[in-house]
Amino acid sequence: MTELSIVNVTKRFDETDVLKGVSLDIADGEFVSLVGPSGCGKSTLLRIIAGLEAQTSGDIRIAGQSVVDRRAADRNLSMVFQSYALYPHLSVADNIAVPLKMRRLSRLQRLPLAARLLPSGRAASRKIEYDVHQAAKMLEIEHLLNRKPGQLSGGQRQRVALGRALVREPAAFLLDEPLSNLDAKLRVQTRAEIAQLHRRLRATFVYVTHDQVEAMTMSDRIAVMMGGRILQCATPETIYEDPDHIDVAEFICAHKINILPVEIADDGQLHLLDRRLELSVVGAGRGVGSLGLRPEALRLAGENAPIRGHVVHRENLGAELFVQVEVAALKERVTLRANPEQRRALQLGSPVGLEFDPAKALLFDPHGKRLRQLRPTFAAKPEVA
Amino acid sequence: MPAPDVPSAGKASTPPPTPTNSAPVIRDYRAAWTLTGPALILMVLILLVPVAIAGLLSFTDYSLGSDSFNWIGSANYEKLFTRASYEKMFVATLTYVVTVVPLSVALGLGAAILIHSLGRFGALYKTIYFLPVMATLLAMSIAWEFMLHPTIGMLNRTLELGCGTLLERVWPFLANGCADRFPVWLGDKRYAIWVICFIGVWQGFGFNMVLYLAGLTSVHRELYHAAEMDGARSAWDRFRLVTWPALGPTTVFVVTITCIRAFQVFDTVEAFWPQGGGPNKSTYVMMFAIFEKGVQQNLIGIGSAITMLFLTFVMFLTLIQRWLVERKVHY
Ligand SMILES: Nc1ncnc2c1ncn2[C@@H]1O[C@H](COP(=O)(O)OP(=O)(O)OP(=O)(O)O)[C@@H](O)[C@H]1O
Ligand SMILES: [Mg+2]
Repeated sequence: MTELSIVNVTKRFDETDVLKGVSLDIADGEFVSLVGPSGCGKSTLLRIIAGLEAQTSGDIRIAGQSVVDRRAADRNLSMVFQSYALYPHLSVADNIAVPLKMRRLSRLQRLPLAARLLPSGRAASRKIEYDVHQAAKMLEIEHLLNRKPGQLSGGQRQRVALGRALVREPAAFLLDEPLSNLDAKLRVQTRAEIAQLHRRLRATFVYVTHDQVEAMTMSDRIAVMMGGRILQCATPETIYEDPDHIDVAEFICAHKINILPVEIADDGQLHLLDRRLELSVVGAGRGVGSLGLRPEALRLAGENAPIRGHVVHRENLGAELFVQVEVAALKERVTLRANPEQRRALQLGSPVGLEFDPAKALLFDPHGKRLRQLRPTFAAKPEVA
Repeated sequence: MPAPDVPSAGKASTPPPTPTNSAPVIRDYRAAWTLTGPALILMVLILLVPVAIAGLLSFTDYSLGSDSFNWIGSANYEKLFTRASYEKMFVATLTYVVTVVPLSVALGLGAAILIHSLGRFGALYKTIYFLPVMATLLAMSIAWEFMLHPTIGMLNRTLELGCGTLLERVWPFLANGCADRFPVWLGDKRYAIWVICFIGVWQGFGFNMVLYLAGLTSVHRELYHAAEMDGARSAWDRFRLVTWPALGPTTVFVVTITCIRAFQVFDTVEAFWPQGGGPNKSTYVMMFAIFEKGVQQNLIGIGSAITMLFLTFVMFLTLIQRWLVERKVHY
């Protein structure tokens, strides 16, 4: 069992707190992505798990045992670095063989020629060679084994780096933005390959990325980090449909989420743009909250819709149409996802009314925390303004 | 391929096989020659011509000031390879090179790695080790001469302190010195060349250290982390896996430069023994021989012959370096 626990880890560099108490439990065989904006401490957390960086306080446990006093080499983890960090003077085969050689051969056997001269070394070297070939076969880089990293493309290098991590069986894999240097097509392809690999190996993966599409498509769970904290850790669906915090909702989105100010009355009744909504919230004080509406939660409606404005910009993606609507009382434009058939009604400048599905509305309090206790208010018919 | 009718090829009445490119190619050649010409002329004038003249002179008995000379064939070279004093020259030069090069490269590398791992006092050590490089060797030689003085020199005085202590029993050299007297460092043919070597290392390794320090800054830090993750636990493993390969190009350069500088050793020999090249010619190095024959004794012919030999060594080293750089250490 190789579950991984991060318990209340903090990290401070000189004067700045980079991690402010991060806790996360990762189950055996789980694929967890760490996502968050640049500089939020993802790499730092990963390097603390690996043992390359010491935490200021907190505990790291692998399979239930604390490893804080174990050095990186003894934690039995594999890491793929953002820059790949391949040894430039070694061929691909030798690069992949390094972790095996370091762990399986004695210092004497590692001397040049010793592998060939010592009988024990010869057997071990043959086994290593076999394992390297197996790893290369899995990643389809057998034909590259004799090349140097300098002669490879970015995608090939990335696979070699993966190969070097996969060739032994570590407790867990740590990957730090391994796809960030690839072009879009290769990224999609390698993304699928890594996901497949995870399914095949059933090993524990911790995957750092700031690309939320990668996180959404590959992970069992996503941990959204911001400002040195994990705001939410849940399945991709939950993170998308049921975010805990406005920052999570804003970060995890295919298309920018619309944030509209709503007034919360004493009795919890919500008012949007001075209009009473058929919604109220339980257990929140009076104040101004935010209503998060994803573009697909909005739909076109008639004159009497709660949000009204006119079309100022259109993005036609073929299968779907994104329309930006300027609303007089709002600073920011509202984005709507529409069907291409509705194109006719959505000419530039034409007035539109928008309504939303209350079930898909996300309400946040003034501090950004999610308010989940929404109730429909059945008004007989809202008084016409 | 059908040749399309391009206006620039219109002049050619009988078109050559590839009529469309020929005019631009000729123009390219002309531009290339114009651009490289000045450098080529300078190189020929100040490098190749003097070398060629020295080469010619090495087959003559010319001396400066005389009106005529005789072609004497390879007599100068025969002398070089038969006379005992030239044998001593080769022995002294090779001893110096073979001692100084590995030592100053290894010390330079060691010092660089230690300083690189040091946070605060790095700059201080850097300065200390680099000082001898900047100092005038001639002036330093005088300081060394004082220190190595047989009776009042610092070195022998320090050694004397060890007399009568336990050290004397475990170190025969000290015991001999105490019983008789301590060596005349600069006057003893057993020690003279090693003194020169020591000063050469002392003076030269700081330069190598600086080159290695520059090389070390270019080693990717993540490679050390990768090595750690791969299970390289000891400092030696990390050195073998990351540092040493990354310093390959630097090492080739450092070794070549140090070799050439070692072949050129002259100042110390000239300062310590202005006449004759040390006790029993034990420090009669090549540069000093060139100076003695060509300048002091005005035997231009033999001086040129030694120079040609010297150039051959240096050329050989440079070729090895080029080969290594292109084959081995570029990834
Ligand atoms: N060695 C260090 N000394 C001081 N500050 C550091 C150090 N390493 C990282 N930091 C700071 O810690 C913060 C988090 O860095 P980290 O590398 O973990 O970010 P990240 O989430 O991985 O960002 P990115 O997505 O850009 O890779 C940054 O503000 C960075 O400036
Ligand atoms: Mg990072």
